[in-house]
This record gives sequence, C-alpha cells and structure tokens, in this order.
Amino acid sequence: MERQIHIEPVTRIEGHGKITVFLDSAGDVRDAQFHVTELRGFEQFCVGRTMWEMPGLTARICGICPVSHILASAKACDAILAVRIPETAQLLRRLMNLAQLVQSHALSFFYLSAPDFLLGWDCDPATRNVVGLIAARPDLARKGIRLRAFGQEAIDRLGGKRIHPAWAVPGGVNQALSQEDRAWMTERLPEARTTIQETLALFKSAFGDTKERDVLGDYPSLYMGLVRQDGAWEHYEGVLRIVDAKGRVVREHNPAQYAEIIQEASEPWTYLKFPYYQPMGYPEGMYRVGPLGRINACDRFDTPLAQAELEEFRAQSGGRSGRVFDYHYARLIEILAAIEEMAELLADDRITSPAIRAEAGVNAREGVGVHEAPRGTLIHHYWVDQNGIIEKLNLIVSTGHNNLAMNRAIREIAKIYIKKGKVSEGILNRIEGGIRAYDPCLSCSVHAVGRMPLRVEIVNAQGEVEATLSRD
Amino acid sequence: MDLIVGIGNELRGDDGVGIRVVGALPPRPDAETIAVHQLTPELADRLRDAERVLFIDAHATDDTVRLSPLEPAAEAALLGHALSPEALLQWTRLVHGRAPEGWLLTVPARAFPFGESLSPEAECAVPEARRMALRWLGCSAPHGGVLEEDA
Repeated sequence: MERQIHIEPVTRIEGHGKITVFLDSAGDVRDAQFHVTELRGFEQFCVGRTMWEMPGLTARICGICPVSHILASAKACDAILAVRIPETAQLLRRLMNLAQLVQSHALSFFYLSAPDFLLGWDCDPATRNVVGLIAARPDLARKGIRLRAFGQEAIDRLGGKRIHPAWAVPGGVNQALSQEDRAWMTERLPEARTTIQETLALFKSAFGDTKERDVLGDYPSLYMGLVRQDGAWEHYEGVLRIVDAKGRVVREHNPAQYAEIIQEASEPWTYLKFPYYQPMGYPEGMYRVGPLGRINACDRFDTPLAQAELEEFRAQSGGRSGRVFDYHYARLIEILAAIEEMAELLADDRITSPAIRAEAGVNAREGVGVHEAPRGTLIHHYWVDQNGIIEKLNLIVSTGHNNLAMNRAIREIAKIYIKKGKVSEGILNRIEGGIRAYDPCLSCSVHAVGRMPLRVEIVNAQGEVEATLSRD
Repeated sequence: MDLIVGIGNELRGDDGVGIRVVGALPPRPDAETIAVHQLTPELADRLRDAERVLFIDAHATDDTVRLSPLEPAAEAALLGHALSPEALLQWTRLVHGRAPEGWLLTVPARAFPFGESLSPEAECAVPEARRMALRWLGCSAPHGGVLEEDA
C-alpha cells in the first residue's frame, strides 16, 4: 500500500510550504514534493502600471529581498530606456547588492541555519533556534547579529530607507553617497571581515570532515550564475554561465536572452514553477543557483581572501561540490568576498560623485534585468507600450530556479533517514534543514501570525490519515 | 516612548490591514509608528528603547478586533524569515537585556489576493482597530483598563 507523509510547517492562509513524502508499499521513500505558494498573480497585478513604478512596486513583493527586486527591476528599466547608467550609479548599485548579500546571508546562517548544526540536529525544536544559539554560543550569535546589522545599516545609508528603498531608479540611482556614510561603512568593514573569517574558521573546524557535510544529501546537477567575461565570480552583471557537476562550462549566454536557454515547467501540486536548462529537457535540465551555484560556476574570485577560501573548498571537495550542506559553506565564502569588494568600491573616489542618473524616455519596448540576488539569479523581464505602460512581465525568482533541486534534496534526505516507514522528528529536522540550506524566500506571499505547528500526516493510498506527528 | 508596529503586505489585500490602521493614527510626541512587511530580528533595536510596544496585525480566523497582552517567548526554528511578536520580544530581551511591555492588536482579515484594497470585513474593522489603538496610547497604566473597557 502506498503512503504519503505530509509535513506542514506553516502558516496562516495559503501555506508557504508543505512537504509530502511518498512511500512505497515497503515503507521506503519513492518521491518527495515541496509545495510552495509564491508570487501567484503578481505578474498580472503589475500589468497596466508604468515602468517608472516598477522598482518600487516589485520591491514590495517581499519583506526580505526588496533590494534584490529593486535592482533587477531598475536594470530592466535601464534596458527600456536604452541608456548606459553613469559609472558612479553602477558602483553604488554594486555596493548596495553586496550589502544585501551580507545581511541576507548573515540572516540565513546565524539566525536560521546555524542552530540546526551548531546546537545539534536532534536538539529540542523549542531551543533549536537563534534564541537557543545566543544562550549556547553568545559570542558567535552577537557577532552574527552585528554582521547582519552592518549590512542592513549600509543599505539604510545608501538607500535612505531600509525597507523598500526607492533608490535604484530607471537610469541610475536617486541619491549619491555622502562622505560621512562612506566613512561609516569603511570604518566598520574590518570588524565585519574579522567576524566572517572567525566564523569560517569555526565552520571548517566543526565540519572539516566532509562526511559530516553529507547529512543533507549529495547529488550532481548543473550550476548557474553570473560570471565576469574572464570567468571570475560576479553578482551584478556579466555572462550567464552554466557548468556541469565537474565544473565544465556547458554554456555561456547573454543574460538578456535567458529565455533561449531557460524554460519553465509547471506541476499541478505547486504554484512555484520549475525552471530548467532547455537543451537538456525537463527535468534532466535541473540546475542550482545561489551561493553554491555561483561558486561552482565561477573559475575564481578576484579578491584574495575569498579566492584562498575557494581553493581550500575545492581542494576538500575534489572540485565542485554537490553537497546541499555546502550551501552554508559557500554562503560564508560569499560574505567574505562581498566584504572585500565593498572595501574596494569604498576606496574608489568615484563612489561619491554626484553624477548618478541618466535621463531618457522609452527607447525600447522590452527590457531584461538580471543580477545575482543572495539566493540566486533574479530575472525581471518587462514588455511596455510606447508610453512605458507594462503590457506583460515575467519574473523568475531565485527560489524558483532551485525548485527542482530542493525537491531532489528532500527526496535524497528522506531516502537516507526514512526507511520502512519509520519516521522521527530528528529526520524531519533534516528535511527542513535541507530546505533551509537553499534559504528559499517564501516571504513573497502573506506573512504569518498564528502559525501552525509542524505537522506530519501519514496518509494511505485511500486518503486515510494513518498517523499524525506534531511538534506540540 | 511607545512604539506601534503595523505588520503586513499592502499588496496582498487584507494582509496589509495592520498597516492601514497604523496609517490612520495621528502623530503623537510620545509614540513612534512604523510599518513593516514582517517582523525581522533587527527590529529588536527599535524595541530596545520603547516602554511599550503594540503590534497591529491581520488575523485570518477571528471575527472581532482584539487586544491581547504578549509575553516574550521563543519559537521553533523557521523555514521562513519572519519572527512572531512574542519571539521578537524574547529576542529583544536576550540581545538588549530588556524588552518592552508587549501588546497585540489583531484585525479580522478575510481576503488575500494581489491588490491594495481591503475586503468589506477588514474595511469595517479599521475604525474599531484605530479606536482601540488610540485608547491603548491613552492608557498609561502598565496593564491598565484597555482590555476590560474594550472587551
């Protein structure tokens, strides 16, 4: 008899995510599905708006990644204006994107994921959280807080408003960087760099044995990310590169022509689409984006400390890593790279120039904006009429790119930890941990109050609930 | 100083009703109001200096506007990125050594489509929620008669 195990971790209304594990008649895992409600209808909602509204409007999709959406949107609008934005605007947008990367990766690592593996996978869920972390490792937790706060404050100072900064605009940015804010960021970079280096050292000492990092599964896939023309790690522009599991370049493509190589499949059990690399078909064209996708896709970092870490990582992994757990490792290396590049940008006197915006009208009827959000490649594609009114748009968000990979991760973890129908909460923690490693942004929907506890239902082929497991 | 935090996504119908209520409150010298998409850990910095904090949020299953006291409390690790009001109070206490007195005002919410308009039920509840928030602001006693008067 086939059985289904449902894991429902959330929420108030639509359920941000639900996991169903399908067991075969022997009680072993046959398949797993991660159901997500996200972004449904947002594209339709934006039709009829002006392109000038789009950065501010799309920034309101999400309370966590407004900066990512505003930058991708502004880049799509730049293409519609057909302008080359001023050099300083380019530098400032890069600086903003790096600050976003620091704060978002710090949130993911210190607040959400570190409790899982630093406090123990089987630790009581009531204390396996950031509050438990601050009790057990107060020094690490406080440094993590300060690191995230640094990224947030840098965004605040650049954008003038931390949440939904209406700062990146079509043609550039609308506020120059003051010398005072430049000095503020510059002075705090050494502490941020020390924090991430200490955290990397701690992480490597705890998980230097690569077998420890197999806990969330290890499987081959394609990897995708922006790289510079010379193959170096990139986050704001460049070439869209896809590599195979060995790191061999499969394709390098103009990001504006993403639709030639990326297509989206739909499944009836989730609202989140499944992008895939079109030449390999669906689902064989599964690829991964985000921290691990980027550091697997690039040849190297252009900053020395991150490059040294990448060399060590690759030496340990025998090249590219397919371990889900290594998303955390990659996230820490990327924070270091971001801090190094921030230092370079802030040392450049062009960063405070007042020439920050190119003025133009609608010169193209279509524009694509692609950059690397913390969770992976973010694509905004707009079609407008002659007055700049949005006629159609397509958004491919980072969490979407990783949809196939997250489902695969859940299946792999479930196969390791669920056998003969035996399920324990510790096993479910690892499935959650597999999802958290990808740091999916499920905030694009409504937020949660009155959240539901974790619930596991075992349902047989007749639709009858055989057993229910709950956290409370 | 009191702090009022409206929570929600104004692009998702009634989810933004808490922010609508916050926007309807007149400015006061003894209170700060902020609107957020969701509660994130760094808000602890804003709570640190407040004597009291009132969170105003949508509630999908309740039929009436309710004001309830909150106690700091931990919550299990999340898949998403947002904290509950109780967890944010707890977080503030741990990071800063103290947390303000916490209250939660919930407003009935029914529809969450993409769009900036409220459902009739949520729209009708806004004046009552505003009135209760104003009374909360006027109540200086630590656990004064707000609940009793508005029950």
